[in-house]
Amino acid sequence: MEAGLEQKYNFDVVRWFTIMAVVYLVVGAFVGVWIASELAWPFLNFDSPYISFGRLRPVHTNAVIFAFGGCVLMATAFYTVQRTCGVRLWSDKLAWFVFWGWNAIIVLAVITLPLGFTQAKEYAELEWPIDILIAVVWLAFSFNFMMTIAKRKTSHIYVSNWFFLGMMVMITYLHVVNSLAIPVGLFKSYSVFSGVQDAMIQWWWGHNAVGFYLTAGFLGIMYYFVPKQANRPIYSYRLSVIHFWALMFGYVWLGAHHLQYTALPDWAGSLGAAVSLAMIIPSWGGAVNGMMTLSGAWDKLRTDYVLRFLIIALAFYAMSTFEGPVMSLKTVNALSHYTDWTVGHVHSGALGWVAGISIGAIYHLMTRLWHTEMYSEKLVNFHFWTATIGTVIYIVAMWVSGIMQGLMWRAYDEFGTLAYTFVESVDAMHPYYAMRAIGGMIFLFGAIVMLFNILMTVRKSVSEGSLNKARALPAAA
Amino acid sequence: MSSLAEYFRTDWGAMTTNDWIGLGITVVVFVLMVVAYFQVFRPKNRDKLESKRYIPFEEDDRESGEKHGGA
Repeated sequence: MEAGLEQKYNFDVVRWFTIMAVVYLVVGAFVGVWIASELAWPFLNFDSPYISFGRLRPVHTNAVIFAFGGCVLMATAFYTVQRTCGVRLWSDKLAWFVFWGWNAIIVLAVITLPLGFTQAKEYAELEWPIDILIAVVWLAFSFNFMMTIAKRKTSHIYVSNWFFLGMMVMITYLHVVNSLAIPVGLFKSYSVFSGVQDAMIQWWWGHNAVGFYLTAGFLGIMYYFVPKQANRPIYSYRLSVIHFWALMFGYVWLGAHHLQYTALPDWAGSLGAAVSLAMIIPSWGGAVNGMMTLSGAWDKLRTDYVLRFLIIALAFYAMSTFEGPVMSLKTVNALSHYTDWTVGHVHSGALGWVAGISIGAIYHLMTRLWHTEMYSEKLVNFHFWTATIGTVIYIVAMWVSGIMQGLMWRAYDEFGTLAYTFVESVDAMHPYYAMRAIGGMIFLFGAIVMLFNILMTVRKSVSEGSLNKARALPAAA
Repeated sequence: MSSLAEYFRTDWGAMTTNDWIGLGITVVVFVLMVVAYFQVFRPKNRDKLESKRYIPFEEDDRESGEKHGGA
């Protein structure tokens, strides 16, 4: 019975972050499907610059990474730090400042990016005033989290909190350095870095946004929600400790593998690839640790649809953390770089791992935060299959398209002339672009079903009065 | 590259301050990782560390009287 906890903890801010996360999942996936459709059927941009691929693509990435991913991270971090430390958030006011501040940033992104205001840095497109706002809100989020840990009642800091802490420290550092720019107006600035240094800083940020935000943060989610949903402790706590430190020490080296065969010194790319390969060990250690938590209780997967999301996410985590290092090798990179293979790889991590673990955590939170059962378990199961099938269709289309692109671009005849023109490769990709859009549509449909299901669950809780009853109960301790 | 020795040859005199700082951090991180592995996998520390995996259940267990020690 978790009802007495309503008095003890601040779950209101967690509830709002949870609902907004699902709203942004639908919005972000919708924009993604739209731009995927634009690539397959270009008339869909209707010759409007505001909805052209170049402007909507950062809207999609910002919506799914920072709006959806950010709200999931903030909801789960604020929930788990309270539950594992046994104390209320250090500051309720600061938590609400983070909620409104983060949502204001998202609104500003949705307005400025289609208008063409951009720093042209991948995954860091927002202009300098918004960058400053991001830093302020992120620091407020981190400070509140750290101060909550500081006043904890437990002697040990549970491993999920270590992963959240690692994310907070590193993302602060990465965001500030990557965003260093000289403003020349309210909506225009230029990076303080130039040339190959700019490229290196960009991908030092770019890969670590993956490593510390989309991996470490979501591993924090995994280390709390997989054991809780399975009702079994994590398989090996010692392995989780090694997983954490190896990830923290290893990930920062990888960015250079994005710049193979460029002006970056050759040794830097080789180093990036070598450490990428080494990172398979802690990544698979973590994935196995999560999966083996079900050791002796695999039957739960037959009936627990939420657990299915969490475990399939770990399978995608293992798959994409193997695929990434392979793609970083120069021989493979010569074929894969600049092709859709990279897009497929990113989405196997984003849809399979990040969205999967997030969706599982959100469903877990729904019943505990609203003190009622889900409106429909069947719809959760239906969502699981749409998300999985949509993701698989998407990544298979991009694998085929990407490898075909790479092979066509480097094919040449006996005279040393390129065998195909660029436009021939574009034409050959069309069926796979249509297939990718269909995969995205299936995934989007599942996200809409999820939004419907959670809104109906909230409505059910209101009609039952379960949340109000829980709020009226005295605190447990 | 004619040999491994040639591949790993380093012109120490050409090392800049940044290079030395980077090298220092790398060596320190390597040593810290070795220490972490040693501490974590030392049999003496096993029970102490593994007892922490029940933290997410402690609050629920107190309320329900359930135990999660058998997994």
